Amino acid sequence: MNDALFVIAGYGVILGGLAVYAVTLARRLRAAREESLRIRRDARQGSEPGR
Amino acid sequence: MKTRALGMVGLLAVVIAAIFGLFVVPPDANQGDAQRIMYVHVASAWLAYLSFGVTALGGLLFLWKRDLRFDAVALAGAEVGVMFTAFAIWGGMMWGKPVWGTFWQWEDPRLTTTALLLALYVGYLLLRHLTDDPMRRATRAAIVGLVAAVDIPIVHFSVVWWRGLHQTATFGDPAKLLHPSAPLLFVVALMGMLTAFTIVWAYLMIRRYQLARTAWQIEEHGRLGRISAARQAAVRPVRPVAEPHPEEVGS
Repeated sequence: MNDALFVIAGYGVILGGLAVYAVTLARRLRAAREESLRIRRDARQGSEPGR
Repeated sequence: MKTRALGMVGLLAVVIAAIFGLFVVPPDANQGDAQRIMYVHVASAWLAYLSFGVTALGGLLFLWKRDLRFDAVALAGAEVGVMFTAFAIWGGMMWGKPVWGTFWQWEDPRLTTTALLLALYVGYLLLRHLTDDPMRRATRAAIVGLVAAVDIPIVHFSVVWWRGLHQTATFGDPAKLLHPSAPLLFVVALMGMLTAFTIVWAYLMIRRYQLARTAWQIEEHGRLGRISAARQAAVRPVRPVAEPHPEEVGS
């Protein structure tokens, strides 16, 4: 294995890992925000009179 | 919107720094192309230290103020720090094989204490799953985060205190930074990658903090819902139990 392959493996895993983590984090945050919004909406509807 | 802009700037900076480090900087006279790995390795190690420092500070502030926002900061630091520590170890291994002739050496204090640092903060993240009570969880995590932070200076000074395979700090002396022995292009590439990674780190920290706060709000809604359900169940009239016949009592 020559140096270039080690460089590719080093950069690939680190930069690829950063990208995967950033995307996963964005997805987790979006899902959590949607869940939070849904809970608040349900709570608001539940507290409305006549329900 | 500002956070998204920060993310875009970070992405652009990393792309530019990577192109510079991979294609503009010439190969090193002794290490050849392997020295290019140093830019991402050193930047990852620096951000691992910074992340765990933030975790320790967040834990300390939580213990002092009892404010869960500091716990969210500490959690963000731990998760992001674990990732950067893993990257630093990976980068070091990919550099070590062509330059040292080995991926890993357990006898080396820097390598071993860094592996311990990773294990400590993975433990910190696992510990947070042991209880649902946010205050108890934050208190335990803060204590573990502070104890684990003791390993940060040990990792950093391990190359000074003990003899091993790992070289001493490149920029330990400020005079070295101002008058580097390495060609200026190498120093620019390293500083560029450090800056780019730090911008990305700031973006990830903000996003992870936001996620921790949102998750805590969801948890709090769930807890309030359970309390409300329990209260309703408590006030519900209990079906009367038929009293036994006096003759049955006497028998």
